[in-house]
Amino acid sequence: MASHCITIVDYGMGNIGSVVGALKFLGVESVVTPDPEQVQMAQSLILPGVGSFRKAMEKLRSTGLDQAILEAVEKKGGAILGICLGMQLLGAASTEDGESSGLLLVPNRVDRFTTDTSNPTKIPHVGFNSVQFSDREGLFSDLPEKADFYFVHSYRMLQEDLKGRTAICDYGGEFLAAFETGRICGTQFHPEKSQTNGLILLKNFIEMVSSC
Amino acid sequence: MTEKFENKVSWCQNCLNMSTRPRIKFDDRGWCNACQWMEEKKILDWKSRKQELMETLDRFKSKSGGFDCIVPVSGGKDGSYVSYQLKHQFGMNPLAVTVTPALSLELGDTNIKNYIDSGYNHIQISPDAYAMKVLNRQGFVEKGFPYFGWLIAIQAAVVRLAVNLSIPLLFYGEDGEVEYGGSTESKNRAMYDIDYMKRIYMEGGYEKVLTSSGLSKSELYFFLFPTDQEIQGKELFITHWSYYESWDPYRNYLVAKEHCGLQEAPESNTGTFTNFAQNDQALYALHTYLMYLKFGFGRATQDAGIEIRRGAMTRDQAINLVRLYDGHYPEEFIEVYLKYYEMERDEFEGVLNKWANKELFKKLNGRWTPTFRVE
Amino acid sequence: MLKKRLIFTLFYDQGAFMLSRNFRLQKVGNMDWLQNNYNFSKVAFSIDELIVLDVSRAKRDLHEFCRNLKTLSQGCFVPISAGGGVRSIEDAKTLLRSGADKIVVNTPLFEIPSLITNLSAEFGQQCIVASVDAKMETGIGYQVWIKNGSQCVGGTLNDWIKKLSQYPVGDLYLNSMDRDGTGQGYDMTILNELPDDLPMPLIMSGGAGHYNHLSQGLSDKRIDAVATGHLFNFLGDGLERSRKELINKGFHLPVWDHRRAESLKILYSGDSH
Repeated sequence: MASHCITIVDYGMGNIGSVVGALKFLGVESVVTPDPEQVQMAQSLILPGVGSFRKAMEKLRSTGLDQAILEAVEKKGGAILGICLGMQLLGAASTEDGESSGLLLVPNRVDRFTTDTSNPTKIPHVGFNSVQFSDREGLFSDLPEKADFYFVHSYRMLQEDLKGRTAICDYGGEFLAAFETGRICGTQFHPEKSQTNGLILLKNFIEMVSSC
Repeated sequence: MTEKFENKVSWCQNCLNMSTRPRIKFDDRGWCNACQWMEEKKILDWKSRKQELMETLDRFKSKSGGFDCIVPVSGGKDGSYVSYQLKHQFGMNPLAVTVTPALSLELGDTNIKNYIDSGYNHIQISPDAYAMKVLNRQGFVEKGFPYFGWLIAIQAAVVRLAVNLSIPLLFYGEDGEVEYGGSTESKNRAMYDIDYMKRIYMEGGYEKVLTSSGLSKSELYFFLFPTDQEIQGKELFITHWSYYESWDPYRNYLVAKEHCGLQEAPESNTGTFTNFAQNDQALYALHTYLMYLKFGFGRATQDAGIEIRRGAMTRDQAINLVRLYDGHYPEEFIEVYLKYYEMERDEFEGVLNKWANKELFKKLNGRWTPTFRVE
Repeated sequence: MLKKRLIFTLFYDQGAFMLSRNFRLQKVGNMDWLQNNYNFSKVAFSIDELIVLDVSRAKRDLHEFCRNLKTLSQGCFVPISAGGGVRSIEDAKTLLRSGADKIVVNTPLFEIPSLITNLSAEFGQQCIVASVDAKMETGIGYQVWIKNGSQCVGGTLNDWIKKLSQYPVGDLYLNSMDRDGTGQGYDMTILNELPDDLPMPLIMSGGAGHYNHLSQGLSDKRIDAVATGHLFNFLGDGLERSRKELINKGFHLPVWDHRRAESLKILYSGDSH
């Protein structure tokens, strides 16, 4: 069994413990680091995140972690999985707390859920919801056709023109629940809080990154 | 041998009562008599039973402020409930009676005190401790009934008191045979008598144990039922509360907790998952352990049956509990037992060995281990 | 559509896990017991959320509680709510760092409402679970009790719920003290005390003994999640079977294949177990 190692970016926002725990359950060692140099050299990254987009980007910028991530992924071809806010940070920009730009690893924008007075939905979107996959390969292999995952967020990405595999969730309208484009992946839901469905997805990411 | 026997051993399809239980019967669904009785209780005409109760109470109610009924209590939920009902719901003047067990537990003592303090007239009968020890020991060795002496006294001494004080009405709690899967002969009978007590509750061992005890008549005073002569001309109405009202041990617990100061044990009791029943004496754990060795079921099975029949748990859920807790060896009390019976460990284990049903158990690492699996 | 939830509540008291019956505690076992006899790691794959409450009547040791919480969180891949004695932002932070995703607060709702606002501002509204313990008083109606059910807060449950529904909290965790641990089923009449337009999800608690109670709870559209803390009744495969049955009967619970858990574990760990 090849040993895998995943680097988890610690920028002070995000329930890293649970992600570490899930990886550990799957028998994978992970390194948690706030150090841009380590992040830069990583072959596979996980970017967690809970809280405000604006605050998160400010932190990434001020620590140089934003550059480190881009270096690792764009220049060196490393893989990255953004979870929840982490997925949003991979995008172009978000309107949370005023406009702030993201890492632009994918061109999608992040906006707040819209509530339609005819069909009001409670914000934030919290709880288990069903997700449908464009296909069940790669990041989504081995998952049931409709799988339930745990969401907790008020902002979301729309599918737009994103190339690659996508997973859609419907909450007052469809939005992007997860994607895989090249070696850049994101899940709006928390795989580490989504029972075996989440563990399967993490396993898929691990298998993806070990084949390099 | 295990296979062959497993075909003979079965469990009630509703609760987990075992086919080995004395006097148990199953219907064609595989439901035992306790569960059938539970169904009957749902449609029984309790109104007319209550009417009977009112008539009986009316008959015996004191007009002079004296005691008009006797309720044996241990400080536990059942006696507390019955006396509470008699006093507060039916305006009777009950005299509560406790027969001191050997090896009483601190929690038991606390509960009796709390019970009395909650407002009851009470008499404590402490039969000769030496006599009780002799009878207990004899019961343990010869019948596998570790507190046989006390079992005799809670009937004989109480009946004697009733006769001596001329309080004819005597309310025991439940008819354990009817409620828990034994003989159903008294199901529709309000009254029972000394003969029933000897035959059923003491499994016909009463006379033998007394005569072979070597104890004198005066030592045995509280273990001897009044003679026919002594009873002649006196009224004696021995009954079970469970005849007049649908018996519900959990309800009893709730009422005793609320009104009589009942405290639970801080942890589950030995061999079960409950903490609110049978907290008065250390020998109870040995009694249920012997029951386990003799028949293959213990305290957890009994408690599970109660939970299932009151609708709080399903059979599937109960199986997990019974498999985990039933038949726990009362390690924490062994030293106490040895000291009490004045036995060495070997002799004590020898008695256990004697009573273990070899078709149900085999000895592994010094402990009797079931060869069956509760199903 | 958002799914409903099946929640298990663990009552913790000074290193041990307890059964609660009308708010009287019975010690069942410690962490070892929970893992070995209760097979917690297996049970964790049958629930949608775990609530862990420090219900100690003695002085609470937050750090010991958090040690236990960390251990529990290692085998639990669903959101975890933790609470009991939370009185400051620091307390909440400590819990969140120890594996909790949400904070459960009870007494502060009634004694330190400003704490609720602060916790919500700091961690987000969805991070706060408002726990309310109610008891029926004949002649008066349902009343609210705090401090492990030892002190009655004046007023009626109905008034309090109206007030609490304006608070910035994520869930309302409503517990019937009368039914607690009895196995007699949820007190469905307590739902009449709730306003029609309760803005947050309702977690129903108190009295669940078996499958029928859970299904009765989930059948009611006012209830978003059913919780049980009955360690005995759901021992072994009790919870797993109940969940399976609920899903078979069409209840809207999240679906995953719990049997995959073992194989996923072995996949990478090899023979390390």
